[in-house]
Amino acid sequence: MTLQELYQLIDGDYERAIHVLMVEKLIDKHIRKLVKNGVVASLLEAGKTMDPTQLFETAHAAKGVCANLGLVKIADAASEIAEEYRPGNARSMSDEMVREKLAEIEKLYQKAVDGIRQYEGA
Amino acid sequence: MIDSKFIPRHRTVLVVDDQEINRDALGIILEDDYDVLYACDGEEAMQVIEARLNDLSIVLLDLIMPKLNGFEVLERAKKDEQMRQIPFIVLTAEKNAELKALQMGAADFITKPFDMHEVILARVARIIELSEGRQLINAAEHDRLTGLLTRSFFFEYVEQLYRYRSDKGMDALVLNVEQFHSVNALHGREFGDRVLRMLGSIIQDFLKSQKGIACRAEADRFEIYCQPQEDYQALLHQFQEEINAFSPDVSVHLRMGVNPAGEDVEPVVMFDRAKAACNLVRGNFQNPLMIYDEELRRRELLNQRLLNDLRAAVDEKQFTVYYQPKYDIQCDPPRLSSAEALIRWKHPELGMISPGQFIPLFEGNGLISVVDHYVWECASRQIAAWKKKFQFSLPVSINLSRADFYDKNLVERLDLLIKENQLEYRELKLELTESAYTENAKHVMEVLGKLRDLGFDIEMDDFGSGYSSLNMLSEMPLDVLKMDMKFVRHIESSQTSFRLVKLILDIASNLSLKVVAEGVETKGQLTLLKDSGCDIVQGFYFSKPVPPEQMEELIEKEIGIARKERTI
Repeated sequence: MTLQELYQLIDGDYERAIHVLMVEKLIDKHIRKLVKNGVVASLLEAGKTMDPTQLFETAHAAKGVCANLGLVKIADAASEIAEEYRPGNARSMSDEMVREKLAEIEKLYQKAVDGIRQYEGA
Repeated sequence: MIDSKFIPRHRTVLVVDDQEINRDALGIILEDDYDVLYACDGEEAMQVIEARLNDLSIVLLDLIMPKLNGFEVLERAKKDEQMRQIPFIVLTAEKNAELKALQMGAADFITKPFDMHEVILARVARIIELSEGRQLINAAEHDRLTGLLTRSFFFEYVEQLYRYRSDKGMDALVLNVEQFHSVNALHGREFGDRVLRMLGSIIQDFLKSQKGIACRAEADRFEIYCQPQEDYQALLHQFQEEINAFSPDVSVHLRMGVNPAGEDVEPVVMFDRAKAACNLVRGNFQNPLMIYDEELRRRELLNQRLLNDLRAAVDEKQFTVYYQPKYDIQCDPPRLSSAEALIRWKHPELGMISPGQFIPLFEGNGLISVVDHYVWECASRQIAAWKKKFQFSLPVSINLSRADFYDKNLVERLDLLIKENQLEYRELKLELTESAYTENAKHVMEVLGKLRDLGFDIEMDDFGSGYSSLNMLSEMPLDVLKMDMKFVRHIESSQTSFRLVKLILDIASNLSLKVVAEGVETKGQLTLLKDSGCDIVQGFYFSKPVPPEQMEELIEKEIGIARKERTI
């Protein structure tokens, strides 16, 4: 499986990733790390306690990593949660809506993880 | 010339971000143009910054990080004098964070994700350029040795103070170290630098309680623009006391020139005047302070006018060459043996100007050669004219100045005068002062040697007035010593003067040099000199310097004596 095929599989934006990271080698490095570094998993973990600080920090980190990797849908959803819990911002979503957003992220993330594992095994 | 922008420079960028992907993304954008260092949190960033303070060109700083966030890093950097010099660009996607970071001293921001590579590179380059420019300005603003302003910045600020002044104006002070080159030469450059640093510190202390600014204008010259002081004598005394306390074993003497505020003149003129005043007390250890006043101003204006008028004076023949006869006193009666050519300037508006006024002025400005050439040509033509008119050869001495020896064609120029006027070399005698020899002695001796080989007589003028040395007498190609008039002046009343004259005559005799005594005014002086074996005298006793027409009367008189002797 090629990286471009992986991106098609996981609904990612390869063009954006290559634009940011410039060389395929770096996309390869960081897409493989997505599972190991636990940056999205930490956000999902924070969702279990719904701790605002944890949610903000992990959502902020997940947003940055996924945006760089062209995982735009996860990045956008993480961004909404980060803004929801950014210190000083007024809340605009209910906890239920946040959980729904987290569930959406989990689904997208799982799809990405499955794809990455296939890619790694290929 | 190499344009400084083409001089390769090594620049290092520190990327601080807790996310490896961000560090990699920036690294790959920057690594072609910069050496890139990385830190994964604020604490590590501080360690790297402290370790690489001198070679970090810029820090790209994420704001939200564990341990120490970006704002805290900015806060700490702001408090540190050296870290504050390093520019920070914050990495953020938040508008509010951008504003806060800029308010905290960040130079710019880069938004995430890093998809605008050219923009990132351009921003980094621009901020580095601005920062380096600012650092250059800081370095150029202050003198490294003393911490005072540099001259160019000083004048920039002085101009502003002058232009926007609200009070009655400031005084211009120039402070110099007397014979600073000797302090350096005798006690070492390091000691000299310590003296300058101390002076810088004394001036800074003075300005703590005064409205004013100061710079080290060059070497040992300090310039101060400050509110008028009541007593500059006391101020200079205070500075001198402080420098004495710093250097109890080595004498360091200060001198000061002041141009007080008052007349509405540009600061640059005020400092020129203060400098001129300071120069006038050079070597005056008794009174090393000079306040620029109306008298000094008049003298300066006159000097400037004389400098401006020199060319016209030559073209319009305002200069006249006078001749002062020299008599051989070992004959009875004394016989006219030669004369000295002396310049006189009859200015069309100012009247007769003393050579004591314009010769030192032209010597100081390197224009003396213009006057010298004029005299040489007139004197050569005059010798030839007298030869033709009286069939009488009267050798004439002309003066050579120190500046004349910088003329590569000096020998050829003098040789040409002889040939053009069909003279013999012995008829044009060359006088030079000791001071002409003391500078660049080797070159002067070489030139004199060539002139003497041609047949010119060389006369040492004003012998004993300066730093004469016996060594010089043995080395220099000389024919005649002209004893300075101060020795002759007191020979009748002072045994010491008389003994000195006899000593000089003895030395000259041993070196087979003839002696001309200058400034002879009385019969008594003449008798003592004659009895002591002096060959020739020059002075008012026989004649003051006279114009050519009067000199002709003396020549005719001499010819009459000669005829009478032949008849007898």
